[in-house]
Amino acid sequence: MTRALDQDAEASGARGLDRLSRNTGMRLAAIQIVIVILAFTLAGYLAQAAISRLDRDTMREHMLGEIASLRDEVVQKGRAHLPYTVAKRTRLWRGFDYRLATPDGRLEAGRLPPAAIGWTEVSGVPARTGAERHRFLVYTERLADGSSLSVGRDLAESAKEMRAVNRALFLCGALGAAFCLAASLAFNIQAWRRIAQVARSARRVSAGRLDVRTPVRAGPPRDDLDDLALTFNTMLDRIGALIDQLRQVTTDVAHDMRTPLTRLRHKIERLRGTLAADSPEERAVARLDDDVGEILRTFDALLQLSEISRQTPPEAVMDLASAATHVAEAFRPDIEASGRRLEVACAPAAAAADPTLIAQVCANLLENALRHTPTGTLIRLETSTGESGSHLRVLDDGPGVPAEAREAALKPFVRLETSRTTEGSGLGLSIVAAIAQRSGARVVLGDAGPGLMVDLVFPPAPPPSDQAV
Amino acid sequence: MLRMRPSATDPVVQAGAPRAATAARVLVIEDEAETAEHMREALAAAGCVPDLAHDGPTGLERALAEPYDVLIVDRMLPGLDGLSLVGRLRDAGVHTPILFVTAMGAVADRVEGLQGGGDDYLVKPFSFAELNARVAALARRSPTPPRERTVLQCADLALDRLERTAERGGQAISLLPLEYKLLEYLMLHAGQIVTRAMLLEKVWGFHFDPRTNIVETHLSRLRAKVDPPGAPPLIATVRGAGYVIRPPA
Repeated sequence: MTRALDQDAEASGARGLDRLSRNTGMRLAAIQIVIVILAFTLAGYLAQAAISRLDRDTMREHMLGEIASLRDEVVQKGRAHLPYTVAKRTRLWRGFDYRLATPDGRLEAGRLPPAAIGWTEVSGVPARTGAERHRFLVYTERLADGSSLSVGRDLAESAKEMRAVNRALFLCGALGAAFCLAASLAFNIQAWRRIAQVARSARRVSAGRLDVRTPVRAGPPRDDLDDLALTFNTMLDRIGALIDQLRQVTTDVAHDMRTPLTRLRHKIERLRGTLAADSPEERAVARLDDDVGEILRTFDALLQLSEISRQTPPEAVMDLASAATHVAEAFRPDIEASGRRLEVACAPAAAAADPTLIAQVCANLLENALRHTPTGTLIRLETSTGESGSHLRVLDDGPGVPAEAREAALKPFVRLETSRTTEGSGLGLSIVAAIAQRSGARVVLGDAGPGLMVDLVFPPAPPPSDQAV
Repeated sequence: MLRMRPSATDPVVQAGAPRAATAARVLVIEDEAETAEHMREALAAAGCVPDLAHDGPTGLERALAEPYDVLIVDRMLPGLDGLSLVGRLRDAGVHTPILFVTAMGAVADRVEGLQGGGDDYLVKPFSFAELNARVAALARRSPTPPRERTVLQCADLALDRLERTAERGGQAISLLPLEYKLLEYLMLHAGQIVTRAMLLEKVWGFHFDPRTNIVETHLSRLRAKVDPPGAPPLIATVRGAGYVIRPPA
């Protein structure tokens, strides 16, 4: 398995949750779950309200029945017997609590606290449990002798029933939500995996691996995702064919242009050989040769641009520091002879790149700095490993490039106004950008405060194997 | 393109005079007739004995039939492409040094060519000076492999490749690592012209052409150490071609 795939696997682990939250199917599942929970909550609330209303009505009927039966007792056995009946009913407890009080309010029997005539709610200690205070629904009636008789019902008892109902409803809701989640996962994970596969292939293809194809399931039942994968692969085949065609055109152009240019160059060289050394004619032909050389340089640079962008991205890991140091030392005498200074600060920096091309990147950047800065400028070449990856930087304390012109500076043939008269094809930075892109690196043109900073940020790579320029 | 800037004090010689002790036999396998003819003339002028073949099969046949010192093979040939041709030659046990000349200049193409049995690689359009220098380097390979030559000598200049030291007339010369590599390469090709491009490729490992004069600058520094004032100069600039180290005439 290639390194790129390993990285993919690693990344998918780290970003799994994040990806899950961005997955369409999972979003749908989450919405379903929220709806189920809301529905059950609403159902629970409505049921509770209905049950509670029904319960109260039944409760009141029973309480009225109880007080009627006590009234009958008074009729049959007399008022004097009532305290005994109330005390007995309190002791035996048939679901009611009582209070019998004399007309002046003194408690004769029962345990309920005093209550106003009619329906009220009071809090008191229930006769049965006799511990903490509960809320009671109380109906109080004034008897013929002016004493008051209350029948109360412990509301905590009915709350207990309500809790049991709520528990059942909650259980149903939770089961419903869990079922929704399980069903969504079962339906989604498969689809999700297959979509992720297409996305992964697309990422690798856009990183330059044109040979990558999305696996398509075997078997006849083809669904929309199989169609997607097949369409994607067809598109890649088409792109691959176009690139091959382009490559062929490039090769043909290279061949067709280079052949006459070779002849031209050879003719000039032969002509030069027939002339006396250092004669005015010989010098003129030498200048002609220089001009042809200039055309060839631009032509080579253009050809190289197209060659780089069709190359497979490098997989071998190298140390940017060794390549950078090597190039810096090659350029140091020239830079110093020009009255500029060169500082090299190269810490190990691993990157998957081609050492030859990295050497060219360093050379182009140093030449660029050399060409576009005044004498006395300090040029700095750095490599380092940061959190976002490996850096290769060239900085100078020269005039710099205005922020709005930086992006344009990377485009082919663009030369900034100040440097239009200096030599150079204007392709140096474009080649740097193309090489960087092929190695998966970003090129950032920034402010070195003062001066220009060109920063190549390579994606993190495993430690380098023993490779140098 | 060569941009030599010989200073007034540099010894400058004119290129072109045949220097080969025995004329090297060279087979040019190139389909483009005019280019092939130019190459033949240039090689003859440099003292080689060139032959021409205009397609792959003919080239292969002749390379197998006759003993050549160097084969110059175009990568793109009618009938049989250059890479396959070299593969067949190597399979047949022919180990004649091969110089690929090609319009395909990408690094990958170069690597492919060298791994496919080529000994050197020259991208079109090249100069005759470059062509001749490369052919000379391939043709005049010493019978001793370069690895086994531990002491290199040129007049009173000696380079010890085991100790990595140099001395001239018994006087030690202090060299930076890169100056050592440069001198070593020159001395391995003593008496032969080495071009700027050859030095860039073989000494620095650069397969691109820097616009700055890094070769010239480093060479003039080396020269200051190797050829002190008063001593007869050993390193010479060959006008329009390159550099050469050789005993004073």
